[in-house]
Amino acid sequence: MSGREIMYRDAIRDAQREEMLRDPNVFVIGEDVRDPWRGTYKATAGLSSEFGDQRVVNTPIAEETVIGIALGAALTGLRPVAELMYIDFVTRAMDAVCLQVAKIHYMTGGQAKVPLVIRTQGGGGLASGAHHGNSLEAWICHVPGLFVAMPSTPYDAKGLLKTAIRMDDPVFFIEHKMLYTTKQVIPDEEYIVPFGLADIKRQGQDVTIVANSRMVLLALEAALALEKEGISAEVIDPRTLVPLDDETILDSVRRTNRLVVVNEGVERCGWAAELAALVQKRAFSDLDAPVERVCSRNVVLPFQPDLERYVLPSVPDIVRAAKVSLGKA
Amino acid sequence: MVAATELDVRTRALWLDMYRRMVRIRNFEESAYELYTRGKLPGFMHLSVGQEATAVGVCCALREDDYITTTHRGHGDIIAKGVQVELAIAELFGKATGICRAKGGSLHIADLRKNILGANGIVAAGIPISAGAAFSIKYRHTDQVAVAFFGDGALPSGPTHESMNIAALWRLPLLFVRQDNRYAESTPQRDYQGIPDVIAWAESYGMPARTVDGNNVLEVYEATEKAVARARKGEGPSFIESVTYRWYGHNIGDPGTWRPAEEVEAWKAKDPIPRFKKVILERGVANEADLGVIESEEKEKLRKAIEAAEAAPKPELGSALEDVYIDPVLGSRAIQGERQ
Repeated sequence: MSGREIMYRDAIRDAQREEMLRDPNVFVIGEDVRDPWRGTYKATAGLSSEFGDQRVVNTPIAEETVIGIALGAALTGLRPVAELMYIDFVTRAMDAVCLQVAKIHYMTGGQAKVPLVIRTQGGGGLASGAHHGNSLEAWICHVPGLFVAMPSTPYDAKGLLKTAIRMDDPVFFIEHKMLYTTKQVIPDEEYIVPFGLADIKRQGQDVTIVANSRMVLLALEAALALEKEGISAEVIDPRTLVPLDDETILDSVRRTNRLVVVNEGVERCGWAAELAALVQKRAFSDLDAPVERVCSRNVVLPFQPDLERYVLPSVPDIVRAAKVSLGKA
Repeated sequence: MVAATELDVRTRALWLDMYRRMVRIRNFEESAYELYTRGKLPGFMHLSVGQEATAVGVCCALREDDYITTTHRGHGDIIAKGVQVELAIAELFGKATGICRAKGGSLHIADLRKNILGANGIVAAGIPISAGAAFSIKYRHTDQVAVAFFGDGALPSGPTHESMNIAALWRLPLLFVRQDNRYAESTPQRDYQGIPDVIAWAESYGMPARTVDGNNVLEVYEATEKAVARARKGEGPSFIESVTYRWYGHNIGDPGTWRPAEEVEAWKAKDPIPRFKKVILERGVANEADLGVIESEEKEKLRKAIEAAEAAPKPELGSALEDVYIDPVLGSRAIQGERQ
């Protein structure tokens, strides 16, 4: 199988391009998605040049209405890929995303079909402060009616986005601003990655680390550090938070008997708490230690880079949590 | 005035159809009030009695494949657009036979087969959805149109203005219909609207706007026809300010007594149904007996629909777990929880 090395942002672009070639009803809509700007993180580069302005639509800065328009288009036969420039801006579109997009299939007793992908990106690392650096996936996972994907690699990003665009349910697709220039060799041949299937990014025996998005990269670094201390960590990326591949996680915990959950959102009422609850309920007797959570501290994300690093989860935080879990801290 | 004999056959049929739909809405709403106050209908309910001419005047100028979105006060609009009353009343009863399988209720009632994209529990939220349908029409190169019904209280909301800007900018085949019933819940317009001239407000976005007597079905129809023709030709959106009144309070349970009694009475004197009836009789489109047949047919049809809805089964509890997602496998995994 031949392959080539591409960046995460190109994987996102290629997935959209391939699906636009495959289905004329697929179109991209959002703020600044056209060339030459190419999307704020360059994930729609070249699309407007190739497909024209009709299929790559720049909008006014009006997130609530833009998502509402994407919904109206989805209800009437199109398959929009709507870009929310920052996940923080979902605050401007909470009604559209959470009350309209997520619920209309249900509220109409199954009549309405919403084949809509909302692409966005979150996370810290660029000193972007409290309005551009949040990780709000827990908010979205809390809303029934949405599927939620959070890829950590170019391969997963492309395959999951292609799947998302082909689905008839709405998908909230969360990228990470620190991942866009990460690289990976991916196949030239077409492929998709199914939803609800976790990927074991590293095998290990002593402790299970479940992480998502950029935290997967930190968890893999932590696993290398732990290896030097003779600790074998398994790193699992669920890839989609809704639906969640709980079986892969539970199988791992049954082998390692220890779990560390790493999530970039603030700890309180976060995604890690949800996973901890799930695992203690279904694998209580397999656990040899309490589930450890490594999340952002329960504060507002500060701007200053040292402060931001202090608030976000770090590799040493993950290493420490794994060792606490093993009683070696 | 044109003599009755000069009215063509099509117009006569249209007028009688409009009359029938107005009567249908009035009966439906009055029955809903009566059933609700007897404890038969659960939930929240907002009635549109008094506003029938706006709903019917607009929807009769549309084709079946045109789209609408409406509001929390949407029964009249969806009936005017052609929803089957049997399915609508069963939904209000919360029965398994309801059009939304008893998951939407009055506030979220929709009929996708009739291109009714839904009532909406959130003020102004339907407007962007209609704009999206209009975008889709343009994208698909059809000559359909989309209509966003909204109450006067939605005018100062963000999505209304965002949608007006986008619709004008993109020349969308979209019709903004403001059902101006004078109050945003209980707040009169002078307390929420910066400038009284709504037309100036709408025109500032670059679209034609017009005020009509919302209790005169023919005037509403004629204004809508013009706006629809413009939209079908690709000339972009229009705005209609249809001035009307709701006889009841904001919702059932609000007696509406905070309004001056003489104001309510003055509007009741402008009841759109007898007004239209008078025109029909004067123009010789039909006689009292013809209209009486329509009235009794509609009454009987609704009586049977209510009877059927009352007799229909409640939904199976398990149906609460259905329709969250379309994908059966991923969807059933997504709704899994600890509770048995």
